[in-house]
Amino acid sequence: MSVRVIAASSYLQPVRDGEALPSLDQALKDVSREHFRRVDRFIQLALIGSGRCVAGQALRPECGIYLGSGFGPIASNVATQQQMLRDHEIPKPYNFVNTLGVSAGFHVAKNLGMPGQNLFISRRGASLEAALATALTDLELGVLSQALVGVVEEVTLPLDEHRRRRDLPSDALVAEGSHWLLLERDAARGKSVSMKHFDDLGSLEEELNASSRENDRVHRPQAVDKRGRDGRAFHDNPDAAVAAEFAAAAMAGSLFLANGSPGRGYTLLHLGP
Amino acid sequence: MVDAYIRGVGLSCALGMDAGSCVSAMLAGRATPQRLELGGFSEPLALSYYRIPDGAELFDPRRFERLLPPVVQAAVRHAGLSADEIRGLPIFMGSSCFSVGLAETGYAAALKQRSAALPMPVCDYDYPAGLARAALGCEGEAWAFNTACTASANALLSAWRMLQTGRHRHALVLGVELANLTTLTGFAGLQILTDRVRPFDAERRGIVLGEGIGALVLSTAPGPGALRIRGGASNCDTYSVTTANPDGASVAAVLRAALAQAQLAPETVQAIKGHGTGTGTGDQAEAAGLERVFGRVPPLSALKGYLGHTLGACGVNELVLYACALLQGRLPASPGFEQPDPVVPVVPLSAPTAAPPGHYLLNHFGFGGNNTVLVLEKPA
Repeated sequence: MSVRVIAASSYLQPVRDGEALPSLDQALKDVSREHFRRVDRFIQLALIGSGRCVAGQALRPECGIYLGSGFGPIASNVATQQQMLRDHEIPKPYNFVNTLGVSAGFHVAKNLGMPGQNLFISRRGASLEAALATALTDLELGVLSQALVGVVEEVTLPLDEHRRRRDLPSDALVAEGSHWLLLERDAARGKSVSMKHFDDLGSLEEELNASSRENDRVHRPQAVDKRGRDGRAFHDNPDAAVAAEFAAAAMAGSLFLANGSPGRGYTLLHLGP
Repeated sequence: MVDAYIRGVGLSCALGMDAGSCVSAMLAGRATPQRLELGGFSEPLALSYYRIPDGAELFDPRRFERLLPPVVQAAVRHAGLSADEIRGLPIFMGSSCFSVGLAETGYAAALKQRSAALPMPVCDYDYPAGLARAALGCEGEAWAFNTACTASANALLSAWRMLQTGRHRHALVLGVELANLTTLTGFAGLQILTDRVRPFDAERRGIVLGEGIGALVLSTAPGPGALRIRGGASNCDTYSVTTANPDGASVAAVLRAALAQAQLAPETVQAIKGHGTGTGTGDQAEAAGLERVFGRVPPLSALKGYLGHTLGACGVNELVLYACALLQGRLPASPGFEQPDPVVPVVPLSAPTAAPPGHYLLNHFGFGGNNTVLVLEKPA
């Protein structure tokens, strides 16, 4: 049994000081079957990324959705807390419903016509790995033969609050994004994808030394969190940074991508021929 | 199929502070929601609520740290895992509150100091699993599932599937819901709260919320008399983000998928733990789906009259209650049900009855159209 990435997309948009959040209207129109009312930016980002990923692809009826995020729909949570605690009002229903992680997956399913399994999964700093491990398990067991896996992270304004919330330096570059992979079991095209978990860095390095060849691109855990690598826009949390890296590689090359931390273990993702 | 057994359980909910007392209280028919009055809003807000009887202030941010460790420690202790097994134990956690209560208390405290306080100062989906890891000394991977009322049922299904791959022999599954203002006021704003939950009843008017922390150890190694999880299925109904399709089509689809995965025919199902929220369309959709699959619906228990709707935690919380009752040879009753509804083809059990060996289904349906059904087997 093998699993291959048959399509991928990566929406990555820097947000700079003094600027408004970029409009998503046209990007949404390009991918949406209908106009979704009262959806927040997190949902919009999920719709854009997933829609771009599956454009032109034949989705199977049982295709599952595995949406990962480290922080989830922060803007709706902020709005809800301000309504309750600052303004002493009952939260507006659509704000409250949008705080639920499952809302984004629902709208992706509705937009793409996907009645299959629909999960929102988080693991701080490694949400792609958590979502991908779940999807790969289901594909391996034959629960389904296709899986749409994505990571979405949004930026909230004002940026100084966003940075404080994420414990970032006051000049940290930040970006919002939506990065998706369409996986298929035993596909005849696309790059193969696999992942392994290691309890410690030494075991991970042993595996990397054994598996990677001289010209392979290898990104080690300490590299994932370096801002501005390759001069590209940068995600301010590793959940999205790993997903951006992986989705980009799925479209343009092979990659060993390691992530993790002491005490929580390490994951090695591999995209190969 | 790799056999996966429920080897240890832990629970704190409105029925009691540990699984044993919760099950005894349930089988004795005790169900006691409290009246909660929330101040600080432009309109007074009073509601019924099933709270954990820990005696602490309801929104004390330290409750999580006090309540969660004993639950997971009890589950692991009952499972009899070795120190090495505990250290590598993966955690599958489902919740709908996560760290939101911490964020609320932090923001509220900061607002007292200055009006430009930082809202949502904490956002940590891993927080409950982190407490479990610390309490157990565990270093395994953790998954946080956030799929509304199906969250911990989905966590359990994913844990079961992970055990099927052979990569793990044991897994800790958690369901976590503690009182927080976002949930209480959010549901109040949706106008689906009522004073008394009446699942499948003609006079049902909505849900009563509750809190609870449940844990179970799922293991490929059998324990004495352990119940076996046989898998399940999950799907998404895109009818509405907050309302189930009353025709029951997607409920029927997930029931059929769960039965097919476990290689069971509908007539082999002994009984069902219903989701039974007590909402008009929710119960109607569940009943319609059951009727589509079973025709004549097997004996059904609806448990939310005992512990309230514990939202993302209800999958594990209600499984622990139901499984423990099965081990005692009993199917629980359904408090709140009195009068059948002519348009709802389900009449839940009104008194505990005998629970024979065989297969049981556990239903979970949530916002976002998320539907999950689990299959449980009681050995002969």
